[in-house]
Amino acid sequence: MIFELIVQQLVNGLTLGSTYALIALGYTMVYGIITLINFAHGEIYMVGAFVGLYLVTAMQWNLLAAMAGAMAFCMVMGIVIERVAYRPLRRSTRLSALISAIGVSIFLYSLMLLIRGAQPTRFPKIFPDRMLSLGVAEISLLQLFILAVSALLMIGLHYLVQKTRVGKAMRATSQDYDTAALMGIDVNQIISYTFAIGSSLAAAGGVLVGMYFNAVFPLMGYQAGLKAFAAAVLGGIGSIPGAMLGGVLLGVLEMLGVAIGLSSYRNAIAFTILILVLLIRPTGLMGRQIQRKV
Amino acid sequence: MLDVKDLEVSYGAIRALHGISFTVEEGEIVTLIGGNGAGKSTTLRTISGLLRPTRGRLLFRGQDLAGMPPHRIVAVGISQVPEGRRVFPLMTVLENLELGAYQRRDRTGINADLEGVFTKFPRLAERKNQLAGTLSGGEQQMLAMGRALMARPQLMLMDEPSMGLAPMLVKAIFETIVEINRQGTTILLVEQNARMALSIANRGYVLETGEVALAGPAKELASNPEVRRAYLGE
Repeated sequence: MIFELIVQQLVNGLTLGSTYALIALGYTMVYGIITLINFAHGEIYMVGAFVGLYLVTAMQWNLLAAMAGAMAFCMVMGIVIERVAYRPLRRSTRLSALISAIGVSIFLYSLMLLIRGAQPTRFPKIFPDRMLSLGVAEISLLQLFILAVSALLMIGLHYLVQKTRVGKAMRATSQDYDTAALMGIDVNQIISYTFAIGSSLAAAGGVLVGMYFNAVFPLMGYQAGLKAFAAAVLGGIGSIPGAMLGGVLLGVLEMLGVAIGLSSYRNAIAFTILILVLLIRPTGLMGRQIQRKV
Repeated sequence: MLDVKDLEVSYGAIRALHGISFTVEEGEIVTLIGGNGAGKSTTLRTISGLLRPTRGRLLFRGQDLAGMPPHRIVAVGISQVPEGRRVFPLMTVLENLELGAYQRRDRTGINADLEGVFTKFPRLAERKNQLAGTLSGGEQQMLAMGRALMARPQLMLMDEPSMGLAPMLVKAIFETIVEINRQGTTILLVEQNARMALSIANRGYVLETGEVALAGPAKELASNPEVRRAYLGE
């Protein structure tokens, strides 16, 4: 009985964790390239959820098309945010950019509050409630869809970063900004791409979570953003595999916490982990050692 | 080929270059020598576009480079071997070399140049799938040079290639610089090791606190009493 409960929560945790991972990737990629914690990232995820919802309900698009639409919309939004709010501050202190990011975050959720109000909107039911049996546990069609989409996106990202010309330029820029420029890499363009990719993953996460919890609302990005940030730190900020691992791990730990009766503390679990990681191993599970250049 | 006129560069309120002028002709090896803080690296970083001059001109084949972003400068035919080598430590040797050719699209030409680099530096061929951060200092220097060659530059800027290397390796690196030059690449070399630099260069400039203090053919500089006293330790 206990065993079954744990396995069931493991399935739930993997599902939840894969969405954390999608959001955490954006934090980690942006941090890796310009050492900025993009505090507006949670709001990009929220906007993605709203755009997906709008395309499914008002425009009657099918789910995959709506998701692609939300990703495309947030791609552009990510690029614009970087241009308007971060690029002009590139040469100033990191704190200025951070404050600018918080400003963008407040602006975006306030804008959505103005347009949509604070009440959550339900996501229309797309998947039937059928549960598939895994022997000791069950998985819903929606959960299966979330896992499959997240896995595909992460495999795609891995391919992009490891194998393509743009991916190599992204890695080079994150390792050594000036030298990347000396290679003939247009670093501004690469930063734009990074924001575009991170934002589109967040949008996908927003649509998936909107369906999973059956609620889309302007403040949904706040907590999801903080948790995904915790996941990125757990994995090692700046590390792409770290963000994937950190997200999944955080989701699993959170649901296991629920399984042992800590459900009223489930949000505290993520932040306890964040604090512990920062105290014990600030570079996270897969973070590279902090290198001081001489 | 390169005509630098009254170049002035500042870091905030501190002026690093007080209007220096020098030229590099096609096919030459020209060296800038001088002590710490003389402005040698600043000069190279400005030519590469990492720093913007506050005044002066940087003419490369008649085109003014001042204010151009670094990636455009690579495109006009200038590449740099940066100070401290600056290989991408978490990428493989092969990936580092491919990044050197980032602007190029001619796959066959890139592959041919890759072969050329591996012939010049067999050690890099042996280690092409190894992470660059795990290479020794000498190997990293070879990689940084190979990487700069992959851009197929007309002018190569080299910043302190001998830094931190054993004398044997320094000799090998300088032999390679001569070889690269003989194969048709013009070289602007910045060095603290003035003796080595003057031994391979056609002409040299001595920089002191952001100004050109002396200029002339390398042989003359090497026998100039002041240079011998200040930079050759005699």
